[in-house]
Amino acid sequence: MDAAVVLAAGEGTRLRPLTRNRPKPMLPAADRPILACVLDALVDAGFDDLHLVVGYERDRVQNHFGPTFRDRPLAYHAQEKQLGSGHALLQARDALDGDFLVINGDQITAESTITAVADAHARSDRVTVAVRESDDAPAYGAVRTDDGRVVDLVERPETGTFRLMNAGVYAFGPSVFADIEAADRERGELALTDVIARHIDDRGAVQGVRTEGLWVDATYPWDLPVVARELLARGRVEPPERAAGQYVSPDSTVADSAVLQPPVVVAADAVVGPNAVVGPNAAVGQNATVGAGAAVRRSVVDTDARVGATATVADSVLGQRARLGDGAVLPGDTTDVRVGTTVHPEVRLGAVVADDARLGGGVTVAPGALVGPDARVAPGAHVDGTVGEGVEVRR
Amino acid sequence: MCGIVGCVGHGVDVQETLLDGLASLEYRGYDSAGIATAGETLSVVKRAGELDALVAALEDRDAPLDGPAGVGHTRWSTHGPPSDANAHPHTDEAGRVAVVHNGIIENYQSLRDELEAAGVTFASDTDTEVVSHLLGRHLDEGTTLEAAFRETVARLEGSYALAAVARGADTVVATRSDSPLVLGVGEDATFFASDVPAFLEHTREVVYLEDGQFATLQPAGWTVTDADGSPVDAEVTTVAWDPEQTGKSGYDHFMLKEIHEQPTALRQCLSGRVDELAGEITVAELDALDSFGSVQLVACGTSYHAALYGATLLQQQGIPAQAALANEYATAPAPRRADTLVVGVTQSGETADTLRALREARGRGATTLAVTNVVDSTAARECDHALYIRAGPEIGVAATKTFSSQLIALNLLADRMATSAYRTPRDLVAALRDLPGQVQTVLDDSRAASVVDEYLDRTAYFFVGRTYHHPVALEGALKFKEITYEHAEGFAAGELKHGPLALVTADTPVFAVVTGTDEAAQKTIGNVKEVEARDAPVVAVTDGQSDVARYADHVLTIPESHPRTAPVLANVQLQLVAYHVADRMGRSIDKPRNLAKSVTVE
Repeated sequence: MDAAVVLAAGEGTRLRPLTRNRPKPMLPAADRPILACVLDALVDAGFDDLHLVVGYERDRVQNHFGPTFRDRPLAYHAQEKQLGSGHALLQARDALDGDFLVINGDQITAESTITAVADAHARSDRVTVAVRESDDAPAYGAVRTDDGRVVDLVERPETGTFRLMNAGVYAFGPSVFADIEAADRERGELALTDVIARHIDDRGAVQGVRTEGLWVDATYPWDLPVVARELLARGRVEPPERAAGQYVSPDSTVADSAVLQPPVVVAADAVVGPNAVVGPNAAVGQNATVGAGAAVRRSVVDTDARVGATATVADSVLGQRARLGDGAVLPGDTTDVRVGTTVHPEVRLGAVVADDARLGGGVTVAPGALVGPDARVAPGAHVDGTVGEGVEVRR
Repeated sequence: MCGIVGCVGHGVDVQETLLDGLASLEYRGYDSAGIATAGETLSVVKRAGELDALVAALEDRDAPLDGPAGVGHTRWSTHGPPSDANAHPHTDEAGRVAVVHNGIIENYQSLRDELEAAGVTFASDTDTEVVSHLLGRHLDEGTTLEAAFRETVARLEGSYALAAVARGADTVVATRSDSPLVLGVGEDATFFASDVPAFLEHTREVVYLEDGQFATLQPAGWTVTDADGSPVDAEVTTVAWDPEQTGKSGYDHFMLKEIHEQPTALRQCLSGRVDELAGEITVAELDALDSFGSVQLVACGTSYHAALYGATLLQQQGIPAQAALANEYATAPAPRRADTLVVGVTQSGETADTLRALREARGRGATTLAVTNVVDSTAARECDHALYIRAGPEIGVAATKTFSSQLIALNLLADRMATSAYRTPRDLVAALRDLPGQVQTVLDDSRAASVVDEYLDRTAYFFVGRTYHHPVALEGALKFKEITYEHAEGFAAGELKHGPLALVTADTPVFAVVTGTDEAAQKTIGNVKEVEARDAPVVAVTDGQSDVARYADHVLTIPESHPRTAPVLANVQLQLVAYHVADRMGRSIDKPRNLAKSVTVE
């Protein structure tokens, strides 16, 4: 099996406002898109024939990766309307013959998990699903197995105790396409898990492969620093390790007096100014700038973002081209975060500053704030709670 | 203007290799195509029309053309209309030889007269056919194909990349003079082409043939000789381009793909060259560049618009600079002083007009510099210095990302040329670093696709701008006419009232580029009011700093930026305008009629 289909068409609405301009697979996993980590794992596992199903803001996927990834051709298949993962897979049908792997493009999975699914499918060409033990099983699609056979697969179970979850890696034969077409659509949408669930029978038509190893997913924006931490702990970042735990691109510029506290990653073309303190668990993205004397820890600073001189950033996410003025303060803390009518209790979050948002010099932010794309916060103002897209906050 | 390909070897499917090669060279021309293969026999198939017509003709045959040596050609007409007869390869009367040619044989008429006087009947209107007949006659004298080819070429004047095969020989002979020709060295076959992508799927090992050198390709191997026949120790280099980079990666057209690649292209152009901590711009390949008192920029088409922008930049820094159309400059060069640097701006590095102008300057002792996208292109090799724009391969005939990268590369050059009193402005360094992300914002948020729906099928389209935006207006109009086939003109905004305003009506949309609030912006807004008073619909491309939106029917927004980087952002909006109009009209966006990517004839 050398063909893999990566599902990268969904927005990932729970990650708003960061998905204003790009789908979840393009959000930063430390120094590069989540999807780059997925493709890396596939190539490391020996897959040479790579297919991407793209949809929401697909230009961003296409122009980031272009026609190849690590010298393997990338085929793009457009899903014009996001009608579920089953429908997404159908878009790649004409390009596939023979068995293939399917993987979610917005979750980071160890190469060993991919290999385990491929190997299990090679031994027995049944529908194969990666499962792993997790306390979060009910949040991801819960699975019950019996001697390697999947006997139950439920999206968001309301009752019952599950300790195995669906890890989002599957292997199929070409017959899956007929199954998808035959399946009923629920409100026009068709999830791949529904198709698999329909296959489950006593004879083990669906096999589950128990896997361990790295598996991380960002459900909400404030999970991105956690994803970065997990990747940094394993050195799964693009730049080489310059000193223990310091992953610094040779194409970046780091002032001699800056302090990089491991683990930390500084991507290509990024600039870290004099006396800045970056890390631990900080990711400075491509062409991003950390000004003189600024402090950045447990945070993700995305491509082209700028942190002003002496600013403080903790437990935060800065989107692309986001700007913090000199002396702005985003202190981290554990707090309740309100999104719409939902309250997420005890979240560790400084602030989420979406793409192109600008916080002027001396702005202070109460922990747990969400600043929308293109918002403008005047110098010296204080932000608490949510600032909508394009909103101007005056002092 | 054409593309040629060839291959020799038993390890490849010759017909398929030639067709694949031609497909990747279609950007050089596409009004007819043909191939010939040779071994014990010689077979030729050629057709007017795009490559599909040739493929269909070949599919109608019982078997593929056979023979281990093959040549192919895709044509863009210079002599004679596109027809089966005028398509290459051209044969002699006996059907013994087949010749493909890119360029122009300048003395073809006298050669043709001579041959016709000797009783030769011509089958086509092309200049190339004289080569076939001359080659046939020299072969009749009993010499080898190699010797006959060398004698034939000695009689030719003009520019050419030429290749020939003959019945009874498993050999391809080829040579060049002022037209590009590259050999590809594979494990079990040897290739050649006008441009590297034609054989990249087979090999990355290449030999750039120099003017006047001859190549002989046989199944056993290849040799390069000079004009006298002495062997040349040709250097084999490995090209880094990835064959898959010629794919469309999910886009409907190469042009749209390349528009969207601009953030990446600009990052590549700037990488390692701007240092915000030190506030410096450094370009390693220009380390050895002396200081010059004045600059002349020569270029054609889109590159000329970049050159105009470059000249304005240099002038604003106090360096006398002028941009000239290379095709004019070659015959009527502006006066140069001893300390004048001549800069050729050419995406491909193979543009014949620009090469000619550079040679003219160099021939008279001027120092020359090439601003180009193609490493080791003719311009890069012939000039004293080369500045690479690093935009990556561009396939769409309408230049997009390479224009943006040219503008930024010229900023780097202008900074390098600056007088000793000049200090690189810190805000410029920051603006350059911010530019790729700002281009991404334009791509994410552009309303061009919906705005153009209001303006399809109008009498004409005008584009105006001032100072740095004047070249943007010219380029916006050029892009528009190239791919929509609609009438479009760009003007310096202040020139409108000196004539063009007579053309402005309610049916002529005017695209006005206005950024910032400086004097240029205020004056351009005055010009916008002039056209508005004539009921022309106005589309303002603006950063929202001025009040131009009040006078516009539609606004295409770009982020606030530096006066020097704003033209790149405004141009992206105009690229999208041209693209979406052409797309609505169903035009052949990647291969507009009568145009080719790099114009390798004068």
